Amino acid sequence: MPIDFAITKEQEELKAVAREFVEKHVMPRWKDIVEKDVIPPEIVREMARLGLFGVSIPDKYGGLGLDFLTIGLIMEELARDPSGAIPSLFLLQSVNAYIIAKHGSEELKQELLPKAAKGDLWVGVGETEPGAGSDVKAIASTARKEGNEYVLNGEKLFITGVREAKEKGVWFKEGGGHVTVVYTDKTKGHRGISLIFVPLTDPRITIRLEKPIGVRGVSWGGFTMNDVRVPEYYRVGAEGEGFIILMTDFDKARAIIALQIAAATKYALEVALDYAKQRRAFGFPIAFFQGIQFQLADHWMDLEAAHSLALKALWAIKLEEEGKMGRFEVTKLAAAAKGFALRVAKAALDDATRWMGAYGYTTENPVAYAWASIKSFDWAEGSLDIMRVIVAREVIGREWLKKVMPFL
Amino acid sequence: MGFNIVVLMKPVPDPKEPPKFKPDGTLDRVSMKLVMNPYDKPAVEAAVQLKETYGGNIVGISMAPPHAVDAIREALAMGVDEFVLLTDRRLAGSDTLATSYAIAMAIKKLWNKLGKIDMIMCGIESSDSNTAHIGPETAEWLGLPSVSYIDKILEVTNEYVKVKRIIEGGYMTLKVKLPAVLTIAGTTYTPRIPTLRDVIKARSKPITTWSLDDVNGDPSKVGLQGSPTKLLRMWQAEMKRKGKIITDPDPDKAVDKLLEELKKDGISLFVR
Repeated sequence: MPIDFAITKEQEELKAVAREFVEKHVMPRWKDIVEKDVIPPEIVREMARLGLFGVSIPDKYGGLGLDFLTIGLIMEELARDPSGAIPSLFLLQSVNAYIIAKHGSEELKQELLPKAAKGDLWVGVGETEPGAGSDVKAIASTARKEGNEYVLNGEKLFITGVREAKEKGVWFKEGGGHVTVVYTDKTKGHRGISLIFVPLTDPRITIRLEKPIGVRGVSWGGFTMNDVRVPEYYRVGAEGEGFIILMTDFDKARAIIALQIAAATKYALEVALDYAKQRRAFGFPIAFFQGIQFQLADHWMDLEAAHSLALKALWAIKLEEEGKMGRFEVTKLAAAAKGFALRVAKAALDDATRWMGAYGYTTENPVAYAWASIKSFDWAEGSLDIMRVIVAREVIGREWLKKVMPFL
Repeated sequence: MGFNIVVLMKPVPDPKEPPKFKPDGTLDRVSMKLVMNPYDKPAVEAAVQLKETYGGNIVGISMAPPHAVDAIREALAMGVDEFVLLTDRRLAGSDTLATSYAIAMAIKKLWNKLGKIDMIMCGIESSDSNTAHIGPETAEWLGLPSVSYIDKILEVTNEYVKVKRIIEGGYMTLKVKLPAVLTIAGTTYTPRIPTLRDVIKARSKPITTWSLDDVNGDPSKVGLQGSPTKLLRMWQAEMKRKGKIITDPDPDKAVDKLLEELKKDGISLFVR
């Protein structure tokens, strides 16, 4: 199959929309977003107008039905946002609206997707709990069937977008909700896990906010469900399918995140390099010294490789959608892409902030801020170590591992 | 009401890229990436706003090499309904008189097709030549009134528009009989970012290509031969600071010294 790294003219034009949006609406205000820990609602509304919240939703529900490679390319532009808030909102909506489109009942799709496509409703994901992160099976939240409703109980923590989903009418006209991971049958192990859409606007749900070191602007916190009732058709996928659906959709999120990390770090490196070209020490602009140049070269090589691996993972997802690529191959590439991008990005930002010396230590400095925000991917959407577990498992081979670890 | 609006759009070299020149000193447009003239964007925005309020149809016209279609798609994504690309090798090297003549011939053909044209809009100038000639010159070829440097369209009817025009030190309000040529400044009309859907839809909007013959253009009136003005040289000026510091404990004396320096550089200031 021919290898062509070029993107289509249409993809370029779609990227141009996202790029212009970031230049005009986000760059002038990112410091404010970070300082006040709030995205101005006008910015979210402009994202909605541009169609950024409907990219993964099928045309029949009012979305654009773009493939994940194109969605990733759009994310590349949004990744310029030094606050990280805009890419976060975009990513979660793209992946979770897609889950609903692919696995939700027709009733649920009709209720949520047209609004989501317009940017009137936002969808996040609620998996993590105080006692469960990487170990999904250790969650404690439950959903009990009563007639044609589910009754949910549990506490989710470190969830993005709880405030934007709860406060209907502020950022999103209808507020939003989270595709929530719960046990519908504790006796069946991971085959007893289901996904249920929980509207955070429900008055019985309480939220709390945490204070992250990075990725400020979009809320991050938790929500508690105390006998929260939702109609049965809010379940996404069949009962017991939740774990598998969650895993396959993490793949998409991870591939996009990989591109986001590579792009954001490249921009940060450019900022640090601009500084190094101007800052003089010992008679020269410091970019003249090979100490800095060798670091720059190494990081540039790594980020370029991360970028290519991310594109490959997105390409694999596109092929999987067309039925031409196996699921485990996609999982392996997506995990590899995210893991690699994260590792090289952290190293690059460590050096880039050091080139800027003390100037690299304020929250107003986009490079310092990127250093804090990229670090969140150590645990967000699949920890770095889980990425290693996945790659090792796929490369060694599940069959061999099953013989050694029969409980796999 | 429903207006037929024609928008003139110039595909220009991407301002972010360094310019390329042919041996005869003219811009080598064929080898440069073309984008929509940023000054034309407020004009398109104004036209789109009129269409949103009163209904109608917007047709764009560009005189450019064939690869200008990318720039044309920008305008289509902003809301222009269809485009005419006037392209012909014989048009290369045209100055503003030759260009406005060719554009006027294209508008005449369009007029026959559409039956009526209410307004012809364009930006105040282009980012690569900045002559600001095309709008008014095209109006002259067509025998139409023209108003340039429009800040805002205040009132619209089938017969006239009332506009607020920027002049040095202020504004003037004018009532202009339609059809007319209006050049729009970027002071009020902020060009919208096209939505993702607009970009996708733009791909299926029609772009018709016309040659000089298609518009019954006289070859002797276009190109280098049809251009009474010739571009001799174009270069990028380098801006450097002199970094001269004038010192004098007495501020009045320091100012006198400064004025002397400026006079020597040929800059005279009226001092009361």
